[in-house]
Amino acid sequence: MEMLGFLIVFPLVAALLLLFARNDTARGAIVGVSAAIIGAAVLLLCFSNIGTAGVYFQFESTVIDGICTIASVLIGACILAYAIRYKNVWAGILASVQLVASLVFDFGFAGSVKVPYGLCFDSLSLLMAFIIGIIGSAICVYALGYMKDFQAEHPDEKDRRPIFFAIMFMFLSAMFVIVFSNNMVWMFTGWEVTTLCSFLLIGYTKTEEAIHNAFRQIIMNIAGGLGFIAALYYSAIAMGTLSFADFLQIGIWSPALVVFPVTCLAFAGITKAAQMPFHTWLLGAMVAPTPTSALLHSSTMVKAGVFLLVKLAPVFALTLAPALMVILVGGITFCLASFIAISQSNAKRVLAYSTIANLGLIVACAGVGTPEAVWAASFLVLFHAIAKSLLFLCVGTAEHHIGSRDIEDMDLLFERMPKLARLMMLGIMVMFVAPFGMLISKWATLTSFIDTHQIALILLLAFGSGATFMFWAKWLGKLAGIATCSDNVEGTVHKSEWIAVYLMAGLVFGCCALLPVISQNVVQPYIYGVYGYVQDAVSNDILWITSILSVAVFIVLFAGVGRSSKSKHVDIYLAGVSVNNDQRVFRNSMSKEAVATSRNWYMADIFGEDKIAPIGVVACAIIIVIAFALSVSTMSVLF
Amino acid sequence: MSTLIATIIGSVLFAIVAPVLGCLLDGADRKISARMQGRVGPHILQPYWDVRKLLQKDRVSVNSSEGVYVSCALFFAILAGGIFFSGGNFLLCIFVITLSSLFFIVAAYSTRSPYAEIGAHRETLQVMSYEPMVLLTAVGFYMVVGSFNVSDVTLLSHPVVCTAWAVFIGLLFILTIKLRKSPFDLSSSHHAHQEIVKGITTEMSGPTLARVEIMHWCENVLFLGWVAIFFVYGNPVSILIAVVLTLLVYFLEIWIDNNFARVKWQVMLKWAWAIALIAGGLNLTVLAFI
Repeated sequence: MEMLGFLIVFPLVAALLLLFARNDTARGAIVGVSAAIIGAAVLLLCFSNIGTAGVYFQFESTVIDGICTIASVLIGACILAYAIRYKNVWAGILASVQLVASLVFDFGFAGSVKVPYGLCFDSLSLLMAFIIGIIGSAICVYALGYMKDFQAEHPDEKDRRPIFFAIMFMFLSAMFVIVFSNNMVWMFTGWEVTTLCSFLLIGYTKTEEAIHNAFRQIIMNIAGGLGFIAALYYSAIAMGTLSFADFLQIGIWSPALVVFPVTCLAFAGITKAAQMPFHTWLLGAMVAPTPTSALLHSSTMVKAGVFLLVKLAPVFALTLAPALMVILVGGITFCLASFIAISQSNAKRVLAYSTIANLGLIVACAGVGTPEAVWAASFLVLFHAIAKSLLFLCVGTAEHHIGSRDIEDMDLLFERMPKLARLMMLGIMVMFVAPFGMLISKWATLTSFIDTHQIALILLLAFGSGATFMFWAKWLGKLAGIATCSDNVEGTVHKSEWIAVYLMAGLVFGCCALLPVISQNVVQPYIYGVYGYVQDAVSNDILWITSILSVAVFIVLFAGVGRSSKSKHVDIYLAGVSVNNDQRVFRNSMSKEAVATSRNWYMADIFGEDKIAPIGVVACAIIIVIAFALSVSTMSVLF
Repeated sequence: MSTLIATIIGSVLFAIVAPVLGCLLDGADRKISARMQGRVGPHILQPYWDVRKLLQKDRVSVNSSEGVYVSCALFFAILAGGIFFSGGNFLLCIFVITLSSLFFIVAAYSTRSPYAEIGAHRETLQVMSYEPMVLLTAVGFYMVVGSFNVSDVTLLSHPVVCTAWAVFIGLLFILTIKLRKSPFDLSSSHHAHQEIVKGITTEMSGPTLARVEIMHWCENVLFLGWVAIFFVYGNPVSILIAVVLTLLVYFLEIWIDNNFARVKWQVMLKWAWAIALIAGGLNLTVLAFI
């Protein structure tokens, strides 16, 4: 338990120190050392408890309850202050409602309900802790170099980096609170802290766009937070417990009793996991510096949303209204977000839509709620976190060195930044093709959908997967382009960026190669602990075959491609005599010089954002409304 | 462990047998096509002679990576065949053949030739068009057989096609794309009159092009295997029937190839997805609730 406490408190201490560290060296030292300590602590915790089904710690503390109350007041006050300063009515109203609701709850109801086992962890929390502790802190290290360049590019801006790094570490602490709390009030406090942190991080640059998008985020997530509070009220009043484990147990024994709070919690999870119609906040978050995006997309924020949903999975398997909502919203979001990603040429927007899509898949798996589906969801969470952070870090670095985040400008990256391009290609391949982890998880997803006869989900998955192939393959192709000579601009990449990127690549390699081992020692124990039995979605033999194949592809990508060979090199065919082969200039039939150009396909008239997004927003909004109506009606039957 | 050994043995055998079969099928294709067009046509071994000649040419390429990617594509195509014909997992076979297509696409992109890029874009689009139906075929197979294992069809009392005939029709439709037959030969066509230079293979020559040809032979054998598996069940005679019916399907594809002009990509995407949605969706719904 000391370890859990340490993981929650230590990042806060680091955050406090960073707030006062004004020069680069001190900041570098604090971030580096803290990241290493957090990483080591997480590894120690994970490896000393490998295969655990769940450990609960008898821990009550009125002091922590008090801190939680103070934290909610501070969060509410902070948001209110911003809302007043920037004259945002909705944020102000929602923040006041939430402040009042949580104060009434803390003083009126929470005091009478005791949660003897305040902290806990199981294999799923350990998996999440691994993601937060390793990937999250690596992103903080990466941010050192990135933010230095960022500040150099915006010299007229005030240097707000101390606050930036402090918030990053506070974020990690809040995430640990969410995954380790059994007390739902504590969990909710962590939940709200992550909302506030991402608000501050998105608005970091203080441009008009950034502020606007930050408010969009806060409005949607406070709405989700209100769902969480509603669930707390219900749980405390009608069920007399605020222990998450007890809540789940009651849910499994008498599902009818928990339909309403589970719908509310699912709603909170859906907003946080940026599912349609709330996906716009994650897109808006792209205005922030890249480390923020990497953190939001891979290890924090959205992962908090899916963590909650995966924890609720066994209850979804037994209830109709919330399961329907989660399955359909997730499935539709997966399919439509994949479609929209085809039409995007901005690399960060492609990544954002792909995140939304993959979260959709995880959400749908949670909704299905069978052991197979939970297996799939856990691996989707893991591989998505690693591969997506690798991709974000690569895109961020490329952006600083080629001056663009447009995929069309990433032409020749293989020559200009050979190592980075290979790592980016690796990240992309891990996201969508066999034999890598993401696809194996999708396989398990498909099996679980078939076994539960979710025909609609199977169709959404099939078409979404087709689109996924399209948008990743064309990006991959763009990166693979090779010309004979180009300037290598890789030398100026910061060392801290390489450390983080290589760590991520190493994790990708390790997790793909050791997938069967992770399955056996981390994911299956959790499933066994929850369901009492384990069902293989993908047999162990297959897992080992794919693990061998992924090692083979790694070797090809890093050792095979790009080596000089003995073959004679010639110019490409350009419908005329080549003048400059690298620039694709040739002499045409009029003896004039002409340039051949080609762009990728974006098919905006079919898959454009303006065509697809409204369908998803309307469909998902209707589904959510129906689900709430259904769950309220079951509640009226109960009482 | 036994799966792994079976896969390795299957792949080695497939690497020997499939190119021979594929080559003969290709020869027959050219002969039959010629007769349909009122020509005599080349000798049935002409594809073999072509590839042998390609293999003897000097190694000439635009960069050193293209060949590596093509070799990967060939390797994974053979592996996919090995998985399928050793009675392994159908879905794994599909994923591995998709990986093979991806390497082929990346090979074309890596050249930065505008013509090869056009071919690569179109190939990507082709994959997107057929992928949903391919996945739904696997799902249909699973729902009838009870697992993704190809070898489990021998436990059935009736062939898969009986209850999954709509899925089978969907598969036949996208088979035209997979076999690179007109009207869906967008990325690279063997009808010279409807091609922009040579599409995806524009910059591939000599031994590299030979490997591409061999890969296509292997792919063709594998895809015809997918067709055949719909007719195989517990009765051993069914294998013979499956072979005959599969050859008929191949003849049908040749006939389509010679009677339709290449369509635009919009038409291909629309039709392939519509058929996947209708044939796949309806058939799976029926299978799920009956």
